[in-house]
Amino acid sequence: MKIHTKYHGVREYNEDDVITFKRGIPGFEELKKFIIFQVEDNEVFNILHSIENEDLGFVVVSPFYVMEDYEFHLTDRVIEELKIKSPEDALVLNTVTLSSKLEDVTTNLQAPIIINIKEKLGEQIIVDNGKYKIKHPLFKE
Amino acid sequence: MLVITRKKGDAILLGDNIEITVVKVEEGSVKLAISAPKDVTILRKELYCEVTEENKNATISDVSMLKNIKK
Repeated sequence: MKIHTKYHGVREYNEDDVITFKRGIPGFEELKKFIIFQVEDNEVFNILHSIENEDLGFVVVSPFYVMEDYEFHLTDRVIEELKIKSPEDALVLNTVTLSSKLEDVTTNLQAPIIINIKEKLGEQIIVDNGKYKIKHPLFKE
Repeated sequence: MLVITRKKGDAILLGDNIEITVVKVEEGSVKLAISAPKDVTILRKELYCEVTEENKNATISDVSMLKNIKK
């Protein structure tokens, strides 16, 4: 299958690559199906792209790139709904908000996206432990 | 929408298994105790709104700047 994305050209994907977000993503609740691909010439960032809206994708980054000891609690509901059997099933990604100024590029550590890479199920959860920011600078001075 | 007055110590039941109790009332703020099943997500609304807003900010426009970023 192919998707003509607005910013990343034509992307091919298989049915097996599609990740289902049963609850959508806050602000985009109507979009349930996403694929992930790498940003060209860059190993750090990936794009989480809707296959239902060809204009819509998020730049995502591993939180461990930003903070080695990033941690949060997954509730039983999330573990059950995403069918997570072991920690290795879970991929954690955080959205990146770009800016023309490098120092204004931030990542949202308060709302990690959890993806069960085996079952291809995803959800963005909200971590309310007072430790993480919605706008965490991605690059230090 | 139901609008209801409750006093300190009073509670409200939502459905079969959610109970919200008014624990403390102070000038301008109310402390609530919420008892709900584990599968119910409880969030401060402003936090949910902030995440929604940030998700909108995070939809990509141009990622060409990322090409110049190397750690």
